[in-house]
Amino acid sequence: MICENCKQRPAKVTVTQVQNGDQVQRHYCEVCAKNFHPFHLDFQQDPLSLHQLLSNWFGVPESKQVQQKPQPESKTCSSCGWTFRQFLNQGKFGCAHCYESFHKQLPDVFKKLHNGNVKHVGKAPGTFGQTLQLKKQIEAIRTSMRTAIEIENFEEAARLRDEARSLEEQLQSGGENRDVH
Amino acid sequence: MSIERFLNNSVTSWMAGEGEHADIVMSTRIRLARNLTGYRFPLSFTENEALQVDQAISAVLLDAEAELESTFSYIDIKELSALNRQVLVEKHLISPKLAHSEVAGSVLLSDDEAVSVMVNEEDHIRIQCIFPGMQLNEAWRQANHIDDVLEKELPYAFDEQFGYLTSCPTNTGTGLRASVMMHLPALTMTKQMDRIVTAITRLGMVVRGIYGEGSEALGNVYQVSNQTTLGKSEEDILTDLQSITEQIIQKEREARAALLHTRPNVLEDRLYRSLGVLTYARLLSTEEAGRCLSDVRLGIDLGLIKGVDVSILNECMVFMQPGFLQKYAGTSLQPEERDVFRAKLFRERLQVDNNLDNEGEEPHDV
Repeated sequence: MICENCKQRPAKVTVTQVQNGDQVQRHYCEVCAKNFHPFHLDFQQDPLSLHQLLSNWFGVPESKQVQQKPQPESKTCSSCGWTFRQFLNQGKFGCAHCYESFHKQLPDVFKKLHNGNVKHVGKAPGTFGQTLQLKKQIEAIRTSMRTAIEIENFEEAARLRDEARSLEEQLQSGGENRDVH
Repeated sequence: MSIERFLNNSVTSWMAGEGEHADIVMSTRIRLARNLTGYRFPLSFTENEALQVDQAISAVLLDAEAELESTFSYIDIKELSALNRQVLVEKHLISPKLAHSEVAGSVLLSDDEAVSVMVNEEDHIRIQCIFPGMQLNEAWRQANHIDDVLEKELPYAFDEQFGYLTSCPTNTGTGLRASVMMHLPALTMTKQMDRIVTAITRLGMVVRGIYGEGSEALGNVYQVSNQTTLGKSEEDILTDLQSITEQIIQKEREARAALLHTRPNVLEDRLYRSLGVLTYARLLSTEEAGRCLSDVRLGIDLGLIKGVDVSILNECMVFMQPGFLQKYAGTSLQPEERDVFRAKLFRERLQVDNNLDNEGEEPHDV
């Protein structure tokens, strides 16, 4: 019998595959058998095995996880009920609120995953961008107001205070009123 | 639009074999991960939350068809048979994770199948755009446009520090995964891939075979994608990936030229033998088919093999997978029967090409 794969060398290795409950035997030569790998499309496993990596970084030995009870000091997310340990084990967040619940521990996690980065740069939702812009504008006005008070220019300070106040109202009403002046 | 069309229509737009650097880059994919505020992530939410999320997202997208200048079909995953789910996975229109989902999940597919919006996969929203060839910016523009349309109506989970909040911390930030699928036979033959993979990993990117598992990439098809999503803007991610990809293309071209220059007879012999196998074999394993397809495609690219369509590699890598084969056979197949049908599929496919070719060459001979 010759190898089913290269069809050149004699077959010396028999591989038994079980698919859908049926056994199939394949015959390969030693060279091809070494390279043999079944063709799986159903790769459900995370190729990174992220939970394993995270657990190891934070000193949770993989084999002991099952026996360990969640420690009392382990933080729990109030929205989905996941603990920080559960996050480490699964390698996933249960909900958006987890980011707030585990806020303190997250920079270390992200540093490892994203080349040392811990802060988002890039696109932000439009509505969020507007709010952020308003907040920055108010902060800038407050700074100039303090300067005005220091140099005793109270008239200017009062004007700036009113301007900041009107922007704050806008912020609270969802940034709808865009006429600033 | 009936769901059947997506299942029976085997050729999809990303397989066209066109676009920039189409001789090496098979397709470009952009994926954006987004979640809604007020609902927990699919890993922990209730069936009720799943339904509400599903309805909210599909309603907004179906309403925006005019603005997006395309028509979307809503497909409920639960209503699909296991085989049909697998076919959609093999066409890269849904992920294996969504195919196995146990909650209310769906996919919204554009008519040309270039856009698929998955609902309740690992995140509430996964926007995916696949274009043929090297089209990172084009695919990004489209995905970004859909994202803009959705964010106008849907409140996203977003944080000033962490950006778009996703279920997996490897997506946090931009939620952007950009990937380029490349055919790299010459770099594989000349054993340069290991070195390239190591170098690229250091730059915050990943290279892996997308078909098959194990040490070798089936059909010499590799996927290069960004790993970092936090602390790097979308533009920077795309620019870096573009530049890495262009360097790999350059190296692949050099390796092809070197192979052709040093041992033209050996190379030509190997490529034509593979064409012979695909044309005449009666039993074809996945491994052998992958290797031969890669050889034939290389032969076409080098101008050695004529009369075979360039899309053969893109298409046949998909069609020879279990789901499509069973669709083609019209019945479920045991593994050894698949080898028979795989061989039959290739014979027919190449026969079709030959007939077309003859018609083109001898129109006066009728």
